[in-house]
Amino acid sequence: MLHKNRHLSMRHISDEELVRSADGELSPQRAAEVEAHLEACWNCRARMEEMQTTITEFVHAHHAEFDRRLPPVAGPRALLRARLSELGSEPRTEWWKRVFQFGFSLPRVAIVCLSLIAMTIGILWSRHASQRELGPAYGLFDAEAVPNRSLTPGATRQVTMTEVCSVPEEEVIGDVTVSLRQRVFKEYGIANARPEDYEIDYLIAPRLGGTEDIRNLWPEPYRARMWNARVKDDLEQRLHEMVCRGQLDLSTAQHDIATDWIAAYKKYFHTTKPLPLSSHFDPIRHNELRWS
Amino acid sequence: MGPEMPPSSYENGSLAVPLTVRSSAKACRIEEEVLELFDEFRNPLLRYGLSLGLSIHDAEEVIQEAFLALFRHLRLGRARKNLRGWLFRVTHNLVLKQRLANQTSLRRTACDASAAEEHADPAPSPEEQMSAAQRRYRLQAVVQALPEHDQHCLRLRAEGLRYREIAAVLGMSLGAVSISLTRSLARLVRADGR
Repeated sequence: MLHKNRHLSMRHISDEELVRSADGELSPQRAAEVEAHLEACWNCRARMEEMQTTITEFVHAHHAEFDRRLPPVAGPRALLRARLSELGSEPRTEWWKRVFQFGFSLPRVAIVCLSLIAMTIGILWSRHASQRELGPAYGLFDAEAVPNRSLTPGATRQVTMTEVCSVPEEEVIGDVTVSLRQRVFKEYGIANARPEDYEIDYLIAPRLGGTEDIRNLWPEPYRARMWNARVKDDLEQRLHEMVCRGQLDLSTAQHDIATDWIAAYKKYFHTTKPLPLSSHFDPIRHNELRWS
Repeated sequence: MGPEMPPSSYENGSLAVPLTVRSSAKACRIEEEVLELFDEFRNPLLRYGLSLGLSIHDAEEVIQEAFLALFRHLRLGRARKNLRGWLFRVTHNLVLKQRLANQTSLRRTACDASAAEEHADPAPSPEEQMSAAQRRYRLQAVVQALPEHDQHCLRLRAEGLRYREIAAVLGMSLGAVSISLTRSLARLVRADGR
């Protein structure tokens, strides 16, 4: 071991290790070896000093380039305080209170029951219609374009319209853990899934109030010929815009996308097949959600 | 004897405190915490936003959004681990989104007009003729010529982020951060050679 260390300490240090050493990013053992080498080697010590000087000058240049453009902090701080106060004073009603605040009555219950029956009939009909329309092109991946309703009925969290329309999308997207992803694949009976084949997608998008619950996640195929993950992204964008413009009720948007997102796409894009993919490609969203 | 007062909700201990009051007190605490973090990180984040090519107005707005997002993040009781890294990550993503919205060029040279004015004058002033200033301008030119990802790494490191934090902000591996910084520094050293 001693011999090995002596051997290591005699070799010159690579540029990368010099940088990592200066930044304290080496393991303790390697850091000690590098330090020992620097004590003995003028060449490497000179390189290290040269690099340290350059770092110092770069930091000065970095500050000089921008610091004179920074406005005083007082104004933005006051603005932030006002915005925080406004945000903090927004009421946060519990979801169960909102459900029960209207109370029960016989006519209301009857209306709800009739609506549910109508929705069920509508769902069955639209599914039948969409499957018939897809015909022979409805291959392996296309068959998975719509989640299994019993496994993925959709799940939402309590959100206000302010949150839906003002919170940046990357903020509402939580990290789907590896174990949760694996559970989703297992639930759907998919073994050895390849990253390029599937996106673990939210049925109800987080920006529409969907949550990272296994009931709201399913493996959506990228390679589906017609109704794939990218087409659904366009639908989510459209629904979000309509909700925030007041053209569509949030609960309706959640219901429609959870019930049959393909039918919803046809309904809100007024088309029977996917339109050319949106040119508005958002790298942030894809970085966040891409299964890898 | 004074007028009869309604019984205070606080008299029976903390469990009797109304939820709205407790929630409001919690929001106040978080608000103060967020403002403290704003005092500490606003300038580094703003510098980073500017270095990615945003105008000062857009960068200020992005920083505000990032801190509002932090407030919501903390109010939901989410992870408090490494809030500095979290803030840089959210800011980075918001800046990219803003740039996309503005349809600005990805190049640093497409900065706002005010920035262009500041850097457009190629004639060195007496101050710039000093060797230190000349080296500084040379370094800035080299940095601006680096690939964008390398610039991000370098700027984040200059703001004090560790490799692990940079990797998390930019979505790259630790090794890739190390290689990027080494590559950039090698170029800077060559440019800085005296």
